[in-house]
Amino acid sequence: MEAALTRTPIATVGIAALLIALAVAHPAHAQRAQAELACAGTITVHVYDCTVRLSRGGRPLEGARIVVGADMPSMPLAHVVRPVTATPGAIAGEYTFRLALEMSGRWAVKLRVEAPVRDQLIVHYDFSETAASPARR
Amino acid sequence: MDAYTVGVFTNIGLLSFLGLSAYVLLITGELSFGQQAFFGVGAYAAGVGTAMFGLPLVVATAAAMASGALAALVVGLPTLRLRGLYFAMATLAAAEMFRILFELLHWQRDVGGERVGPDGTQGFRGIRWVFEQGIEAAGFLIVVYGVLALLVAALVFVERSRLGATLRAVGEDPEQAASLGIDILRLKLGVVAAAGAVAGLGGALYAHHTTYVEPRNFDIMLGVHGLAYALIGGLGTALGPLLGVVLDIGLLEGSRLFAGYRMIVFGGLVALLLVIRPRGILDERIVHGWRHRAWRPR
Amino acid sequence: MLVDLAQNTLDGLGAGASYAVLALGFTLVFGVLRVVNLAYGPAIMLGAYAATWTSLHVRPGLATLAAITVAGSVVAGAYVERLCFAPHRATGLRPGAAVAAMVASFAVWMQFEEAATLALPNHLYTFPSLTTAAPLPLGPLALRVETLVSLAVAAAICALLWWLLYRARFGIAVRAVTERPTAAALTGIDPAWVSVRVFALASAVGGAAGFLVATTHGQVTPHLGMWTTLKGLLAMMIGGLGSLPGAIAGGVLLGVLEAHSQWYLGPQARDLVAYLLLFSLLALRPRGLLPARHTG
Repeated sequence: MEAALTRTPIATVGIAALLIALAVAHPAHAQRAQAELACAGTITVHVYDCTVRLSRGGRPLEGARIVVGADMPSMPLAHVVRPVTATPGAIAGEYTFRLALEMSGRWAVKLRVEAPVRDQLIVHYDFSETAASPARR
Repeated sequence: MDAYTVGVFTNIGLLSFLGLSAYVLLITGELSFGQQAFFGVGAYAAGVGTAMFGLPLVVATAAAMASGALAALVVGLPTLRLRGLYFAMATLAAAEMFRILFELLHWQRDVGGERVGPDGTQGFRGIRWVFEQGIEAAGFLIVVYGVLALLVAALVFVERSRLGATLRAVGEDPEQAASLGIDILRLKLGVVAAAGAVAGLGGALYAHHTTYVEPRNFDIMLGVHGLAYALIGGLGTALGPLLGVVLDIGLLEGSRLFAGYRMIVFGGLVALLLVIRPRGILDERIVHGWRHRAWRPR
Repeated sequence: MLVDLAQNTLDGLGAGASYAVLALGFTLVFGVLRVVNLAYGPAIMLGAYAATWTSLHVRPGLATLAAITVAGSVVAGAYVERLCFAPHRATGLRPGAAVAAMVASFAVWMQFEEAATLALPNHLYTFPSLTTAAPLPLGPLALRVETLVSLAVAAAICALLWWLLYRARFGIAVRAVTERPTAAALTGIDPAWVSVRVFALASAVGGAAGFLVATTHGQVTPHLGMWTTLKGLLAMMIGGLGSLPGAIAGGVLLGVLEAHSQWYLGPQARDLVAYLLLFSLLALRPRGLLPARHTG
């Protein structure tokens, strides 16, 4: 992408991207993955250790590559959290990652699964300075 | 560009639509606290289009712009005679009504074995068109800036035309403009609709960026930010609101220099800046100066 | 059925009393400066946070907490006046000065909200309750002690304001600046002097309302700032911009209306009805129910 940006004028790429977006038909829906998230505070303020259990069709989803981000729904577009990649945990389908947020409150944790299936899951979670709990909605 | 930088630039681009929506009204002399509602209407409309009915993004975005304009007209028509603070309060009340209506909106459809659609306070998940097309973050960034460039170009074109001069004349002195035979009410309706469409366009892209929206996204804080971006950046040119967003999100949030204190620093900066330049950094005087320099023969 | 109606009205009066006091503070500032101070609520929130912080560390009485809330609001309000409104008064003749001042007050709102969350980072803190006493029986109705206290405090503040504005020297200056700005300037009344004091007075009135709200709800969140600004604005606009009797009427009406719509239609509809009332009033009768005589 970087190379394309430097070589091609942005307008051309933009128009091309728009045309591609226009031309492609809407996709088939594959079976979605399910996520169970559990986070806990660490000794560092606003840093949390999280575990996510991924499953698909009731079976653990193994060997997944997950990139994790987060948004704050009450302040849309105000925060950008540096994405982190999750590492496989002890149990099949379990992955762990460390999340560094900017402030307390309700966050929408974005789990982007890139392999073996492509998927994107959103889990709402409440974070205080040193603790975390699933969002009651 | 790494993922973080792409994220920051995408946010800057998306917020710019909101700033521009406020800007279009501000140059005509109207202050709206409610543009976030039309941003929300656009987000929901586009999500309904792609996620529930499988429309392509371009079609859904056009529908979102139309919905944004229509919603703005619904608010604008009964409040046409209001000016200044009264108009601002009416837009605020209307925007909060829209937000509550989003909370009450339950409309889901079975798509590929899943319930998709707005689900009240739970929000509207699965607006995955861009994701499922395989458009990556950097690709979407280009789409956002492509659309933004077209919009800014269109606004600059309008501002240099006769219509632009008329708009600013109405903004400066509506009575005098009316005495010159300008149909202020019709003009104002047009501007209200255009600002609604701009917000709707931004909302459509926003929904597809996050893949989910919820009513609390569109509360008054978002709208006042858009307003502040236009006023800080400057009312002299359509590039002003963009500068406002860059200052907040790019400089303060992006640099992480003031992590944890960003609001205190930004708030203080804005308050002081408005003392020095009440019509923003790129105000009419500066922009006028540019044009003269550009037109001076060598 | 009829009992519900009466009970809701009674509860609504209690909430409405706080709204009326909030709107009075808002109206004082608007009446004198012709600007909307968006940081009004956040300044009150900061006062309530100062009281909350104190109550977490020592255990003061309710009167002390009330005093801290009021004092905190006044300090925060004075800061808003100096940073957002004083500089723009000098340029008051330039179009857009009021808009710039209002946006500046929004900027300070963000400062206050962040300052509050830095001082007390949790989302919610309990605030000492006014009373644990059971509601007083009043025929088939139950009169909550909070309602009684809110009404009494609101009445006392109205009386005090009336005396200040219509009987004291200070009030003569304020009304002169409000109603005849040019004449006031000619007789040597310094608008800056009036402005600072009106801001302090408005913040104190708002702080009293903020204390009532915090102690009745038994909790504070950073959201209190936005809540206070919105309720105050709603009540002020419903009653009529810049009108003190209108502020009281608007506040009471808003409180009663909210109580009824919450009971019959649910919490989301409650807010919807309030905003619908404001929107319809603005569209049909923009100057509000009891308009000020000299709204410019």
